[in-house]
Amino acid sequence: MFAGAFLTGAADRLLPPSVPYRFFITALVLHVAAWSLLLAGADQVLGFQGGLGPVLAALHLVTLGVLAMTAIGAAFQLLPVAMGRQLGPLWACRLTWWLLAPGTVVLAFGMATATTAALHGGATLVVGGLSVALVLLARTLAGVRALPGVVRHAWVALASLAGVAVLGLLLVVDFSTGWLPDHQAAAALHAVLGGYGFMGNLALGFAYVLVPMFVLGGAVPDAVGKRTSALAALALVIGGVAILEGAGPVVALAGLVGLVAVTEHLRALAKAIKSRMKKRLETFFRLLIPAWALLPASLLAGIALALGAPPERLAPLWGLLLVFGWLLSFVTGILQRIMPFLASMHSGITGGKPALLSRLTAARPLALHAALHGLALLFIAAGILTDSVLLVRLGAGLGLAGALALLAFAVELARRYRAHRLANPPPSH
Amino acid sequence: MDQGDKAAGPPAWLAVALEVEPFDVRPILADGEDPFSRLMELAADIADCGALVVDAPFNPSPLRRMLANQGFSSYGRKLAAAHWRIYFHRDGGSEWERGAEVTVGPEGAASWREEDGLHIDVRKLPPPGPMVAILRLIEGLAAAETVVVHHERMPQFLIPELAERGWRIDRVVEAFANVQLWLERE
Repeated sequence: MFAGAFLTGAADRLLPPSVPYRFFITALVLHVAAWSLLLAGADQVLGFQGGLGPVLAALHLVTLGVLAMTAIGAAFQLLPVAMGRQLGPLWACRLTWWLLAPGTVVLAFGMATATTAALHGGATLVVGGLSVALVLLARTLAGVRALPGVVRHAWVALASLAGVAVLGLLLVVDFSTGWLPDHQAAAALHAVLGGYGFMGNLALGFAYVLVPMFVLGGAVPDAVGKRTSALAALALVIGGVAILEGAGPVVALAGLVGLVAVTEHLRALAKAIKSRMKKRLETFFRLLIPAWALLPASLLAGIALALGAPPERLAPLWGLLLVFGWLLSFVTGILQRIMPFLASMHSGITGGKPALLSRLTAARPLALHAALHGLALLFIAAGILTDSVLLVRLGAGLGLAGALALLAFAVELARRYRAHRLANPPPSH
Repeated sequence: MDQGDKAAGPPAWLAVALEVEPFDVRPILADGEDPFSRLMELAADIADCGALVVDAPFNPSPLRRMLANQGFSSYGRKLAAAHWRIYFHRDGGSEWERGAEVTVGPEGAASWREEDGLHIDVRKLPPPGPMVAILRLIEGLAAAETVVVHHERMPQFLIPELAERGWRIDRVVEAFANVQLWLERE
């Protein structure tokens, strides 16, 4: 086909597929592990407000194992292409995975079993991996003038990541030493910076690029991204200081600022989607649309908590809405789309005939995953609101079945990709 | 912006612009440098009713679009292979793309016909504008025709969408600030 000319632009050069896909496959496996652990510890979900055990371990398998793992894999692959910049040495990308993946597993084991050595070792590996990723991404973003809205969200995300990592280490050490003056406040700030700061800003920034691209809609104006990133940063700074000071009403105010940012964000995405060339919204929107609904819902729950609503039900509900409702729905929705998309792209750049997206995508497991994930959220939320362990357990079981469906989709994708490559080998030069 | 007056011949203000010495960006591009900043400086110094003339190796549609936003009408002519002369006139930018036989799509991408096919210039469009403009163009083509894309970089994300529509990239020529791709139906 178009021979080697494709690979001549250094700035355009893609990473080998083994780099992003090692992150994605790990995310899919840990996705299954997270739901399994939540199923095992379902009786501890009700009233959960932190503390070691299977729920905290499951939560971190999701946040680090699925959300951060996917975000880093996707950022390594997409940012250099979108920004026209080289990412950095391949060994550093691989090192990120070698630190983050085992670190997440060891840390989750330490959390589930309250094993101090595993907690410390896992946290150290995780922070090491996140630090390498942070440096790589910061180098890529430094001096970039394109896509200023997206880039500013990415900077807020990276600044938050630094805070999350430091607080995470402090919290882990505090489990065995108890030297932090207010463990709960530090944990709350860790959760806010991780959920809304790091992952939240990456999700907002990526959405401005990916959603219009996948629906072939109008570009989101840079001015929108600049405004939402500034509002998000303002909300995080105000909220962060207020959490440490224990000033609930100010935390609520920060939540309101966050709501303004989210409203503007969703309005811009709705406009892009409305202007789309593609008539039909693909299956992954069955996850993205609920995710976008649950993002403001999580902020409202957080505001209620900050204003003194009883935390026994609201705290676990807030965690569910933020982590499983918004972020996990959004990230697995994006995974549904980018895995076959990147596979098709990689099959084309090596000179062979590109594999068709429609042929790579097995629709049934995707639809199954979306349905089971939605049901899982409903059951767990109902369980939390009605103090029913049975409903939480059922929800976790449905979530596990959904995670297995997503894993099955990835296995089938790999099989179809391999079959295509065998049938259409790249031309020899 | 008026793109409908293409058959009306050169604009009246061309007489003013013909007196101006062209600024040739071709050697600058050949040296691997981006003349954009220099052009912006030159444009900033042009007074009302003044003119700027630029020689370029291609029809610089993104530049014309940007300068139209700064109040410049423009009139382009292909003088020879890889030699375009664009006349800019600071009068409010009402006659952008006049005379270049260029169609401008909803995303702001200019397209025009040359001997080797239908050209589309998607440079300087915010993402996903380039992809949408290219796909909109090929989906609207009735006959088998080659589409020549002028892009700032290799559009990796376009490959799956092209394949899905039965199109392929036949060849690629990379020059500074102008990656050209020849698209053809499978």
